[in-house]
Amino acid sequence: MTLLLALTAGGLFAAGWYLMMRPSAVKLVLGVALVSHAANLAVFTAAGPSRRAPPLLPAEGLPPGTATLPVADPVPQALVLTAIVIGFGVLAFTLVLVHRAYQTVGSDDLEKMESAER
Amino acid sequence: MNWLVVLPLVIPLLGAAVSLIARGRAFQRGIALAGAALLLAANLGILAVVLCQGVLCVQVGNWEAPFGITLVADRFSAIMLAVAGIVALAGTLYALGTLDGGRERFGAYPLLQLLWAGVCGAFLAGDLFNLFVWFEVMLIASYVLMALGGQRSQLEGGLKYLGVNLVASALFLSAVGIVYGMAGTLNMAHLAVRLPVAGPPGLLSAAAMLFLSAFGIKAAVFPFFFWLPASYHTPPAAVSAVLAGLLTKVGVYALIRTFTLVAVQDVGYTHSLILIVAALTMVTGVLGALAQHEFRRVLSFHIISQIGYMILGLGLFSPLALAGAIFYIVHHILVKTCLFFVSGLAWRLRGTYELERLGGFYGTHPGLCAVFAVPALSLAGLPPLSGFFAKLVLVQASLEMGHYMLALVALGVSLLTLYSMSKIWTLAFWQPAADTPQSPRIAPHRSRGWLLAGAPAVVFAGLSIALGLGAGPFLEVCRQAAGQLLDPQEYIAAVLASGGYACS
Amino acid sequence: MTLTLAVLSGFLLALVVPWLPGLERRACGWAMAVLPAGLAGWFATFVPDVLAGTVVRESRPWVEALGIWFSLRLDGLGLVFALLVTGIGALVMVYSGAYMEGRPKNGRFYAFLLAFMASMLGVVLADDAITLYVFWELTSLTSFILIGYAHERAAARQAALQALVVTTGSGLAMLAGLVMVGLLAGGFGFGQWESQAAAIRSDAWYGPAVVLVLIGALGKSAQFPLHFWLPNAMEAPTPVSAYLHSSTMVKAGVYLVARLAPVLGGTVLWGGLLGIAGTTTWLVAGWWAVRATELKRLLAYATASTLGLLVLLIGLGTEQAIGAAMVVLVAHAAYKGALFMLAGAITHATGRRDIRRLGGLIRTMPATGALALLALAGMAGLPPLVNFVAKEAVFTAVWHQPGVWPVLGAIALLGGALGVAAAVRVAWRALLRSARISGPAAGKVVFQELAGPAVLVLASVAFGLWPGSLDGLLSPAVAAVRGQPAELHLALWHGPSAAVLLDALALAGGVAVVVALGPVVRRMAPVERAARFNPERGYALALGGVNRLAAWQTHALQSGKLPRYLRTILAAVAVLVLGTLAFRGGLAWGSPIQDFGIAELALCVLVLAAAVFVVRSDSRLAPSHARGGVGAGVALVYRLGGAPDLAMTQLVVEALTVILFVLVFYHLPRFGLEVGRAQRLRDLGVSVAAGTALALVVLSASAAPLDRQIAREYLQRSVPEAHGRNVVNTILVDFRALDTLGEITVLMAAAVGVFALVRLRMRETPSGGQNGDGEPAPTRLTGTAGQAASGLAGPVGRGERPATPGASSILHAAARFLIPVLVVVSLVMFYRGHDAPGGGFVAGLIAVVALALDLLAHGPDSSRRLLRADPRTLLGLGVVVAAGSGLASWLAGKSFLSGLWLGGGLGAAIGTPLVFDAGVYLVVVGMAMLIILSLAEE
Repeated sequence: MTLLLALTAGGLFAAGWYLMMRPSAVKLVLGVALVSHAANLAVFTAAGPSRRAPPLLPAEGLPPGTATLPVADPVPQALVLTAIVIGFGVLAFTLVLVHRAYQTVGSDDLEKMESAER
Repeated sequence: MNWLVVLPLVIPLLGAAVSLIARGRAFQRGIALAGAALLLAANLGILAVVLCQGVLCVQVGNWEAPFGITLVADRFSAIMLAVAGIVALAGTLYALGTLDGGRERFGAYPLLQLLWAGVCGAFLAGDLFNLFVWFEVMLIASYVLMALGGQRSQLEGGLKYLGVNLVASALFLSAVGIVYGMAGTLNMAHLAVRLPVAGPPGLLSAAAMLFLSAFGIKAAVFPFFFWLPASYHTPPAAVSAVLAGLLTKVGVYALIRTFTLVAVQDVGYTHSLILIVAALTMVTGVLGALAQHEFRRVLSFHIISQIGYMILGLGLFSPLALAGAIFYIVHHILVKTCLFFVSGLAWRLRGTYELERLGGFYGTHPGLCAVFAVPALSLAGLPPLSGFFAKLVLVQASLEMGHYMLALVALGVSLLTLYSMSKIWTLAFWQPAADTPQSPRIAPHRSRGWLLAGAPAVVFAGLSIALGLGAGPFLEVCRQAAGQLLDPQEYIAAVLASGGYACS
Repeated sequence: MTLTLAVLSGFLLALVVPWLPGLERRACGWAMAVLPAGLAGWFATFVPDVLAGTVVRESRPWVEALGIWFSLRLDGLGLVFALLVTGIGALVMVYSGAYMEGRPKNGRFYAFLLAFMASMLGVVLADDAITLYVFWELTSLTSFILIGYAHERAAARQAALQALVVTTGSGLAMLAGLVMVGLLAGGFGFGQWESQAAAIRSDAWYGPAVVLVLIGALGKSAQFPLHFWLPNAMEAPTPVSAYLHSSTMVKAGVYLVARLAPVLGGTVLWGGLLGIAGTTTWLVAGWWAVRATELKRLLAYATASTLGLLVLLIGLGTEQAIGAAMVVLVAHAAYKGALFMLAGAITHATGRRDIRRLGGLIRTMPATGALALLALAGMAGLPPLVNFVAKEAVFTAVWHQPGVWPVLGAIALLGGALGVAAAVRVAWRALLRSARISGPAAGKVVFQELAGPAVLVLASVAFGLWPGSLDGLLSPAVAAVRGQPAELHLALWHGPSAAVLLDALALAGGVAVVVALGPVVRRMAPVERAARFNPERGYALALGGVNRLAAWQTHALQSGKLPRYLRTILAAVAVLVLGTLAFRGGLAWGSPIQDFGIAELALCVLVLAAAVFVVRSDSRLAPSHARGGVGAGVALVYRLGGAPDLAMTQLVVEALTVILFVLVFYHLPRFGLEVGRAQRLRDLGVSVAAGTALALVVLSASAAPLDRQIAREYLQRSVPEAHGRNVVNTILVDFRALDTLGEITVLMAAAVGVFALVRLRMRETPSGGQNGDGEPAPTRLTGTAGQAASGLAGPVGRGERPATPGASSILHAAARFLIPVLVVVSLVMFYRGHDAPGGGFVAGLIAVVALALDLLAHGPDSSRRLLRADPRTLLGLGVVVAAGSGLASWLAGKSFLSGLWLGGGLGAAIGTPLVFDAGVYLVVVGMAMLIILSLAEE
């Protein structure tokens, strides 16, 4: 499973970054979205996921002294959840920033957006 | 006294939240000022306590490390916090004096406070993922501040800034996950204990490369710095000053923290790589500055070359060198913020940042000349200002360790820096103003603005002189901080051994 | 303390002066002279003690960590220079009063002149290498400002910049050398150095250190090949030239060489370098002095030439040589200072600076002419002026130099002759020869301009007649330089000797050169042609080269195009990571097919396929939907990996993101826009390489054996201590609540940002001022004044808006039915979140979906009515609630954000973590609605 997921994450990174390198600002946004998926997946995968029950416990809690985890590791899940939310906020802002840049510059061509650096 | 450590987060967060609820402009201005003042007080308090009592830490949520999140203030963090507090107050004053009504109404002050929160959080975080979160807080605030106003140049600069830093964030996040996947923990003190025995060292070095790239982008080192000269000259001076002063240095902080505490398994490899990066950063940065003709773009490129010096200190990895790096960070934050303030003042007088169109200030505004000359010369490393000792320490450290080329580069770059600064001086201050100065951008009745905008610059110039004349004691503090970094036992013990709330 | 005061007094006065009135008046020159004169007198009182061998020392720690002390010492050498600096300082101040009469900005002029004097005193009194360097650079800086006095003229600016670059540049080299010596000696005190001289001279670093230090010294003293800045520095007002660039600052290098002679001197390297540099400068500059026609430039070359002589003498290092050097120092200061001031006076009066356009001054301006004639006699070294004594001492020293005396003799003869020639030429062309020039070559010279020169000329006569009076002053200096006691016996006439003969020959030679100048110049023509490639040219070329390199590099790197930036960065990342993996190892595969499932395979293929579609599609909305497909696929992957909360969150986020994309992309164009195939392939290569790098690292990390102690801890403590069965949720709102606090802060900032982006639209300000500092807002906000007045202060909405086009009756019905359901679901999700998948974030987003549905059905205003509160209030409120729940526990004496619980049992448990989650709920609703409403109402 990890091999698959690692490859998927890598593929998403590649796709996202390729999109971010396009001259079109709109594709930049799409790329950003893919890259954030990729990063979340990377975190999820690096912790060595496996098909286990979700970390939901019975009312009496976890019987102590269990060597291996009976359920999936909740830590990467918590991290990814936070990351998803942050990514969402940033993506929303990026989307609107691109939108405004398009309106102001009159084109979504990133190569044209260099007036400030001339 | 540990509770102090929470204040740098709570004060600005509540300040921002409250000024979103009650949205009156005057109220926002008041909250911003009060918040910044309180923040400075809290951070100075932390510094005082840390200097006399040692590492401060809070186990947030009362979950003892490494299970909860720990907020730690060692000497290095405390120093950075104090400087951040100073910049926060100065930046707020300058904004109060110069910022236009539109930006004020649309949330400049809450965003600035969120920026403070993010920066302080990054300095305090004792947990890798928490560091990521505060980095994001800082970044999103800076993204918005960068674009706030929606002028074309701002949108273009903001887009580049955003695009590049998103790559950094993705790398940082992945690196955090990878480290957890190797060591099963996120608490940095705990990582320092665990990583040596976790996973193959080569893999750790690869992860270290991810940190180097992620933080290198935020710190604007070669070859990651492009976003900085593309964006820092586009927002109002009030914004670009605090960004230029603080943000890249947070990246440097993160580099130093990770490469002294977490990624120290293969110093011979990683840190000599850092040395190469440092040299290239110094050179490319200063050359970039020489090619510019716009006040703030010159300054922006100088940020890059100066970052090179700080990284040099990290790469040399000797007590003296690290002390020099810390000294350099503090010096540079003060000086660079001041120079951006001055550029803004020049803009208010002439309505342009183009050096060729500025000019004649030597005759008309002697005060402005003084407030520019001090930080400019300090940046170039002329004695007896702070910049001189900052450079001297690093040069001495590199000679001590037989890195003659690096010493040569450091000295050569400081000569070019002086050349570029005196170019600004001769163009903007000596050369007679090209065309008749345009109508000042500031309505005359807002003379109050001049006081608010000028005072921080004057104070910072004074601080640079003070740091130079008082270099001895301050360098001593930096040496102690560097000692703590190079021998992290005290840090680790304070974080891990502490039983929950009542620690250190 | 007293010495420190003596040094600082100049700085302190300099701080006051600019605010003084009446500085444009002539008389203020006398006032300014008070401090220097007083200091001179004060230093004079030390002469007996110093002769007796006492050395005054003061020092206090400065940067102990580096072994830097702020320490001063007054010994024989220092005393001579201190007297020069202050004495001539006083005369120059008097002179300035007349020369600068009625000019503006005199306050700053006098301030910098005083600051320079103080810095120069610091240099000659410093007893610590870094202390010396500090003052050294301060002299360079004050000199920069003073050269650029007439900063309206480009020439002045250029000259100032050149002087600064050359002197500070060489100064930096010197700094490196000093630091090296300091590291060898374990400190920077000169005393320390002298005590360890032997060890230092024998160290491998000695060679480089000497070279570096000498670069600094020779650059400052305008020695070949770093001499060229001095003639150009004559752009400065005459008082400055007389003071800085003839008698004091340019002698700082000579001083440093003398000061360090006991430490670094006495070796072949030392003597050789000084000898070569000194000789070259002595002769080359001497020749240029003969050729020059512009008065001040001529004097500047003559100065450089004399400095060369001094350097050579100190390089020789014998007692006679050092003694000669000291006499030359005094003599030169006297006649050259006088000549500069007189030259200024003459130019002032006649408005002419070229000796070819002057003449007969001895008749037209008798007093000035007479003084000038005497000073030139001094320059030529005629008896009974002190320079005659000096030259005799020089020839004696040269004559008695073992081994090399024939060579040196010849050189000395030539150098002496050139010096004489320059003097004779000026005397003849400007003073004696009757004026052949049209117009009145005469003008009025006020007494105050002649006072200084008169004093100096008198002094050189007096010291010439009674040279013995200098013995007491100079002997200790010689002793200090040679590091052993010395006895100087100067006399006007030692009886016939080789020295006298040489001197006579030099005189004759000089006169001959002037008489036969034409033929001589023709002879020298080829040499001068060769001199076209002079160091100044090199300086210009180097500077131009640096600037071109800078322009090229910046154009190459800082292209202004984001795609290129990203390509470079990602390429670097790929190289760093892959290279590390390749050279440091660390790749690990683990067991790739552990619990490998067909479902995973299918999902991953689906995800990647969707991604590829996004990459390839050119249409407007399709790719953003495909992107949603990617998100959904990833969500299912999370579900398979045992993460229902993630799956749920991801799905809801996707739903919301699609709404945003639709709202925004509605306005955006089809993006056919693309680059050439080659570049596409390069981009593809870079991104694939970077992606591979991350995939490999992730894979290796996941393969590493993992101690899940932390996770186990959470699982075991979640129920008993965090009162929650959904461990992910307990982590988010309790164990790691601080992360979540930061997370909702991000949401808040993002929402405010979107709102501002949509609403606040300032015009680009003209003329590069790329921002709207301080400009009154309403004029800079497009749209209505009402809108301008809004912002955070005003309401979000403005005016009624029709429902979104295409809102069908079905949608209305669906909305009426769905919205209540969704609200209920959201509340349930929120409550159960602590024990089952759900929680504040998901619950909030579900509520948002309900509101969004209403918006689509009935338009923004309806949904705002449904929301009841302003979204920004919700945002702020949410953060306040979340942070407040943490502060509550803090006030209760526990750590920030630690849970407080009412009632122990599960389910019934109500605690601050739930309040915290409520805060999250509020923030999410506020954030999403602020964004949606802003976009919908745009």
